[in-house]
Amino acid sequence: MKKKLELENLTFIMPGFLIYLVFMFVPIALCLFYSLTNWDGISSSYKIIGLRNFSRIFSDVSFLESVKVTIIVTLTTSIIYNTLGIATAALLNYAGRAYNFCKSAVFLPAILSPVVVSFIWAYMTQTDGGIINHIITAVGMGPIDFFASKDAIAFTVSGVIAWAAFGFFTTVYIAALKTIPNELYESAKIDGAGIFKQFRNVTLPLLTPGITVNTILSVTWGLKQYDFIKVMAPNTVQTVTVNAIERAFDYNMMGYSSSIVLVLFVSIVVISLIQIFIMKKFEVEY
Amino acid sequence: MNKLLVNVKKFFLIVFSIIYLIPLYAAIVNSVKKYEDIIKSPLALPENFTLENFKLAYIRANIGSLYFNSFIITSISLLLIVFLASMLAYPIARNKNNVKYKILYIFILCGMMVPPQVVLIPSIKTLKFLNLLNTFPGIIFFYAGTYLSIGMFLYTAFIKTIPTSIEESGIIDGANKYTIFYKLIFPLLKPCTATVVIFLGMWIWNDFLPPMYILGSHKGRTITTGIYSAIGTFTTQWNIVFACVILASLPIIILYLFMQKQFQSGLTAGAIKG
Repeated sequence: MKKKLELENLTFIMPGFLIYLVFMFVPIALCLFYSLTNWDGISSSYKIIGLRNFSRIFSDVSFLESVKVTIIVTLTTSIIYNTLGIATAALLNYAGRAYNFCKSAVFLPAILSPVVVSFIWAYMTQTDGGIINHIITAVGMGPIDFFASKDAIAFTVSGVIAWAAFGFFTTVYIAALKTIPNELYESAKIDGAGIFKQFRNVTLPLLTPGITVNTILSVTWGLKQYDFIKVMAPNTVQTVTVNAIERAFDYNMMGYSSSIVLVLFVSIVVISLIQIFIMKKFEVEY
Repeated sequence: MNKLLVNVKKFFLIVFSIIYLIPLYAAIVNSVKKYEDIIKSPLALPENFTLENFKLAYIRANIGSLYFNSFIITSISLLLIVFLASMLAYPIARNKNNVKYKILYIFILCGMMVPPQVVLIPSIKTLKFLNLLNTFPGIIFFYAGTYLSIGMFLYTAFIKTIPTSIEESGIIDGANKYTIFYKLIFPLLKPCTATVVIFLGMWIWNDFLPPMYILGSHKGRTITTGIYSAIGTFTTQWNIVFACVILASLPIIILYLFMQKQFQSGLTAGAIKG
């Protein structure tokens, strides 16, 4: 009887498990193996060179530059989502038609493809004929070149990414705000707390689980960023993933690019764990 | 006085929301204008309304076949993920105190942490080995492998909330495990399936990097990689660029307008839990 049950369970598990093994586990294992070789991805011969790829990474100028861009993107977007996002959520966390309209409007860009958003914003930010500069010159100021330097590009693209995903994070914050019981605000009011004091002493501490989720998500998304940079700034600025993909497929450095994505993967895991550790300290019970 | 203040606040919020959507407004109005009119007055409503851009974009970017490809890839991937993940999750959720199942659960959960790029680079080699590179089954299996973890995670959490008494009634009736699962359990998983379908469906439809390298540059492009390369050939003809952009987003925007609540809760639930 028990044997038969186990066998039945196995038929439920096997199809998914095999797909996972072949299309997820094997590639990851291969990635680990490639990172220890000097394989170009094409030829049939390669040498195992140990950890030499990893030691090369940290003196590789183009990689380090991509790290800088990735950090700019991650920090800029994360700060926007988790400050303006909370404020917007607090403003919109009411019932009514006007509020629903605003919620839907803010969320709308989050359903669009990054490729679509990038093209629209490539037009918006043009120096000559772009909408933003059109408006700026109309009020009598000089046009801004959003693509003047590598840093400028990194910040411009960060702004675009933030525009696209802002509604997503705000919606998560609105959902988190709904979990805070109204009585807490009532009793805070009775104690004579003003709006800002209520926010500081009631909202913020009870919002911590939402903040944990959103900060971790925003940092992981930032570190993995590929599409927006690839479409808006082709061949000028690279994030770590753009750098790795280009190495793998355009420069035939399979081994080396495998070690880059592994370093990225480990960084994401470590940073997320640190964030969880820090945020745990702020969480309160009520 | 207080009521007035609230109305002032509402007014400003609506104004800000509209400003927030100016880029989308620009894309829409400029997609029905002639090129010269875009240059002259980019924010004005169209003076000489034209659908010529859409016609040109549709023919030159071959939008019809792009829609078809994306639709096939997205729907079959979703079917596969829903089918595999719910079945996999069922015994895991029902044997939560068994060490073997716990190990299996954690083993598959690990896949959620891995960025798609880490999987993509070696996947090109495994798919080539399996003769699946540049094919639809290739990208469909890639999505199934990559997103199985999230699917299993969501389904496992959901099945745990379903009382076991439901299955017990089936066992008394003498139904076997497959009938119990598909007749009794699976219909109850509808909210979870909706989350999985909306969340992953949108990701797969909008995805850019994997289809670019797995499907290659020749044929069988998806809507995103298709308009990306089409726009590359007429970069500054903004009227056609906007027509492409609108055509690529139209199916998802229409779905969103009909199911706003499901989108907002599905996407956020999927991401929070995932």
